[in-house]
Amino acid sequence: MSSKSSKANARAQKAAAERAAQAKREARRRMLTVGGVVLAIVLIVGGSVGYSVWKRDKDQKALEEAVATAAAYGVSIGPEDAPHEVIIYEDFLCPFCGDLEEETRDDLARLAADGKVRVEYRPFDLLSQIGDYPIRATSAFSIVLEEAGPEAAKKFHDLLFANQPSESNPDAVDNDDLVEYAVEAGADEAAVGDAIRSVANRDWVTEATEEARRVGVSSTPTILLDGKVFDDGRTVDDLAENLIDALE
Amino acid sequence: MNGTLAWVGLLARLVTGGVWLVAGGLKITEPDASVNAVRAYQLLPSSVAEVVGLALPGIEVAIGLALVLGVLTRGAGVLSALLFVAFIIGIASVWARGIEIDCGCFGGGGADPGASSAYPWEIARDVALLAASLLVVWLPRTRLALDSVLFENRAASGAAEGEVD
Repeated sequence: MSSKSSKANARAQKAAAERAAQAKREARRRMLTVGGVVLAIVLIVGGSVGYSVWKRDKDQKALEEAVATAAAYGVSIGPEDAPHEVIIYEDFLCPFCGDLEEETRDDLARLAADGKVRVEYRPFDLLSQIGDYPIRATSAFSIVLEEAGPEAAKKFHDLLFANQPSESNPDAVDNDDLVEYAVEAGADEAAVGDAIRSVANRDWVTEATEEARRVGVSSTPTILLDGKVFDDGRTVDDLAENLIDALE
Repeated sequence: MNGTLAWVGLLARLVTGGVWLVAGGLKITEPDASVNAVRAYQLLPSSVAEVVGLALPGIEVAIGLALVLGVLTRGAGVLSALLFVAFIIGIASVWARGIEIDCGCFGGGGADPGASSAYPWEIARDVALLAASLLVVWLPRTRLALDSVLFENRAASGAAEGEVD
């Protein structure tokens, strides 16, 4: 029980308190470091995503400006002075285009007939690296348009989507099938048969495709509603529904 | 032995991190292509694909930076491994469904006939990178990691992790 041992005791206590304070400071420093690093990561991710969104928006704006001056390779329904104008860039092989067509075909036709909208379908070749179906189908479309008029061409366009082959087997629809659909749409087999079978309008397809590329259409379907890119939808079904709602 | 492993860990970090940096960096400037590449897998609803397509490149760059620098190394390794698992599932799934697409791993993406011949190699590559990520997670320390500077044990309590370096 000497004062010596109580002094040692006090020293030990002081040392322990210092260690505890040190550990606390250390823990605090770690927390701050982790926080700082996490913040830096969040800033990097946020900045990147922000840049991507901004870039996409800029690309869309450029597309909207270009489309205003684009030459029309396609077919329209509805009166020219309708209050709304819809332009749909599509590829006859693109499955999302097929889904969109299925969801909107009847409603758009009805709205166009009621004079509420003018719809312009602009098919082009986006997917011919999978197979030449987009070229064959788009060429046939332009042949029907030239030989049998816009009404038959629209019907032919609808038939192509209704009988769309899958991306994994685009040759399931051959040129004879295309002729058959053309006749069903109202074209005269004598007038269109040979041209469709020999894919005579490749140039038309090339020009339509170049025009779509110049505008900046890089995916299908690309929808423009009154000159603005319309992509409001969680799924293609949603997109179709929202488009029709916007036009009703 | 541990010393060698720590160097191997550094190599694993640099390789996986480098791959992430390149993959993310190439995609950040092409957001539309990135969104379409995700859509082409036909696994996610359109809007989810859009969010993933816009967010993924930034996340990839961040993971890449974290791995290369060795910051929050284990966390970055876990995320890296999870993403590789997701990619392996994605590629296996398009392969199984007979969809032929460019994996969009380093930009690009979308339909690509004959792509299925590349699937085995792409999966093998991702499995290798997954293994490297898991190694980073498993190792307590790797060489030249910023973590060891940031989280250096200054206090005497370092004894608990005594074998550091």
